[in-house]
Amino acid sequence: MRIFGSLAKKVGDLTIKYSNFPESYVKRSYEQVYWKNPSNYPQYPKAQIARKKYRFTTNRPWTSQFRMQNERNLHRKKVFLEPVGEWSFFKGDRVEVMVGKDKGKQGIVSQVIQERNWVFVEGLNTHLRVVGKDKKFPGITIQSEAPLLVTTGVKLVDPETLKATDFEWRYTEEGDKVRVSLDSSRIIPIPKSAEETMDFKSKELYVENVDKDTVSEAATKITFAPKLRTFEMDIMEEMGIKEDRVPAKSYWY
Amino acid sequence: MISNLFKNTVALCMRSQNAIKFAATPLRSIHTTSPANDLMEFFDAKKNWGETNIRVGRSWKTDELRIKSNTDLHKLWYVLLKERNMLYTMEHECADKMRLFPNPERIDKVQESMNNIETVIRERNVAYYQLETGETGERPVEDVVNLFGLPDKHKKSEYYIPKHMNKRWVRPYLEHGFINSAAVKRFYRMYKEKEYNIERKARNREFNHVQHLLKRFPDMDMEKLKAEYPNVDIEKAKRSKKARGHFMPKY
Repeated sequence: MRIFGSLAKKVGDLTIKYSNFPESYVKRSYEQVYWKNPSNYPQYPKAQIARKKYRFTTNRPWTSQFRMQNERNLHRKKVFLEPVGEWSFFKGDRVEVMVGKDKGKQGIVSQVIQERNWVFVEGLNTHLRVVGKDKKFPGITIQSEAPLLVTTGVKLVDPETLKATDFEWRYTEEGDKVRVSLDSSRIIPIPKSAEETMDFKSKELYVENVDKDTVSEAATKITFAPKLRTFEMDIMEEMGIKEDRVPAKSYWY
Repeated sequence: MISNLFKNTVALCMRSQNAIKFAATPLRSIHTTSPANDLMEFFDAKKNWGETNIRVGRSWKTDELRIKSNTDLHKLWYVLLKERNMLYTMEHECADKMRLFPNPERIDKVQESMNNIETVIRERNVAYYQLETGETGERPVEDVVNLFGLPDKHKKSEYYIPKHMNKRWVRPYLEHGFINSAAVKRFYRMYKEKEYNIERKARNREFNHVQHLLKRFPDMDMEKLKAEYPNVDIEKAKRSKKARGHFMPKY
């Protein structure tokens, strides 16, 4: 009997939302299970031998880069994460950088890595990287953004004063949960680009697969009518199957 | 076999949020194609064979299935089943031919849809039986103490003779003796010890973790910390030597 509860909650909700994959797929794509007892046999306890600690970086859990970074014998130092409560930084948010050489500058969040409390701000907090360097070629220098911690590295920008502000999650009268700036009490709306996934920029822009997807017309059509029948009775009637045999007396134990 | 609106479409429902967009496009809800009832139905359409990316929508949600009639769910189940068979076949075939199986998450999507259909149908049947008989109509499950002295769920089965007449059922149970034998008691004691140790280690691990967090982030929001680690005595952790620290690590 082992506890694997710690393993279950590792990947952030935003990551799963971004991937557009079922959670079960994300889980099975990054998990390293070395041994698992056969399931549904009473003689075997529900035991498995699996890797427990994973290093999360910008490499997404379902990619091969992630797998390479977490190779079987590769173990890295534990990363301590400051608890942030409810996640409140989304892609497309305007934030002010609070640390580093771009301190005080404002930018747009371009990527969120929830597993590390990281956000990347477009064009800010950058360093130069040389790629493609070899003996004959000096390489190309590119600017790449470094991650910023959401706890200390960035602050949301107030839409009215356009200055960095603290905020709070509150409910509107309609019952929607919104971020409210503590400076001007204005709602900081969640940007449209927060719903971007690997497959589409926004839900309206999703291009359906004609062969595979059910069209929304068919999916949203209401065909249910309440009847005093079980599923089986309904299907039997639909198919014209008549069953008038009386089942023999039976005992459940 | 299937000749309704789901014909030739697959289980994977597209985002219903798109409803607005598709309301404007011409209606194409009914498909009819000649069925090809041969073994090639286990394979994907030929044009998808070399594909590296076969992108599909998400799985059906329970709320979308609740508005569908029983007949639709029945048909959808077989659409999904065929799709799942096709995906397993393609996965096997790709492995056989040393190719990469494109978009393996489709299997999970189909499976999730099938699970959701089962949930919805079960809900409907339970509602019927509870209205008519006052019981759920589900397979009865009893809380028992099993042969190891551990609490267990016994899923009851249906027999045509009562329990006291059923020798085949009674005998193996009696052979093992009573569950409060010395061996069972010993096993149970050690099992409890093991369980307790796991719990204790988890508790200590959490406490240590909080100490290290306090050392690294002294200005942290204590309420959030309390919310994330409700079982840790934070005041005690603050007083400890480990939480103090004489230098700030880099991370």
